[in-house]
Amino acid sequence: MRPTRFEEAAPPGPACHAVGAEPFDWVTALSTSGPQRDLALGQLHALMVRAARHQVWRLRDALPDASAATLDVVANQAADEAMVALLGKLDTFEGRSRFTTWAYKFAIVQAGSDVRRMQWHHRDLELRDLDVPAPAADDPAQQAEASDLAHAVADAMHRVLTPHQRRVAVALLVDTIPIDVLADRLGTTRGALYKTLHDVRGRLRSELAAQGYLPGGTAPASSSTASSTPAGSTAATSIPSTSASDSSSTQAGEP
Amino acid sequence: MNTSAHQPIPPRAVEALLLDTTPFLSCEECFERLDTHVEALLAGSDTDPAMSRHLAGCAACAEEAAALRQLVEEDTQGA
Repeated sequence: MRPTRFEEAAPPGPACHAVGAEPFDWVTALSTSGPQRDLALGQLHALMVRAARHQVWRLRDALPDASAATLDVVANQAADEAMVALLGKLDTFEGRSRFTTWAYKFAIVQAGSDVRRMQWHHRDLELRDLDVPAPAADDPAQQAEASDLAHAVADAMHRVLTPHQRRVAVALLVDTIPIDVLADRLGTTRGALYKTLHDVRGRLRSELAAQGYLPGGTAPASSSTASSTPAGSTAATSIPSTSASDSSSTQAGEP
Repeated sequence: MNTSAHQPIPPRAVEALLLDTTPFLSCEECFERLDTHVEALLAGSDTDPAMSRHLAGCAACAEEAAALRQLVEEDTQGA
């Protein structure tokens, strides 16, 4: 069932939290006790629900059940969790942005993460190696093929990346598994996986530049590599949807 | 979702693999800067190249930045 909008009244609008005109000192109001704090908490919750609904609505096509009732439940749960996270970091708000913008991001990130987790909840992930074989060094035909950028990238992935780096890169960029979903399954963090990806990109760019595929190459790359399994290996690790895998075997957080 | 065996890496993946994401910025740092970055963009300035690089290289963070920007824009228009 596809809703046209949330069944409930429209999400709290900006009227009482006009951008550019903060209604009051949120941090002080939320840090005190008594009626002022209660009022502030109520208004903050309304903000969080508004932002969470906004994000859940944006991502609704990813949900197996996008009924209005489900969207509302997901948004409200995300808003509640985001509010707890925000209050735990209230003392870090430095006023470099409007409080409302700062608050919204907690709900948007929480809601986005919740939707992606629900989207992948019943799906097993395959943490597989690259299934494009590395060209054989003594095969002219395959060497010629490697002149194509995609093949050159595949070749470089086999030569300059570790098996773990290849699997993370394939999962995130070829199979487009969301980074937070993969992090959950591997028992690591989104930040750790992004760092792995950043290192992958650096190694590949250096290698491809050295081969003349990218600007900036100055010398042939040392094909130093980190691969400890035969090039072209298609070994895969299946990660169940219900629990995190043994991160020691997948080295999820390996930089 | 998986490509079948021995198929070339799709062009979009090649592009993503070769993206220059320096200077490095973590997802956690991106979250810390997200609100100020979005407000700066809406004000017509983009003075944080590390954020721009991170958002180009991290689909989840980019989606969240887009959502925040859209929401703040809606607020601005409704104010």
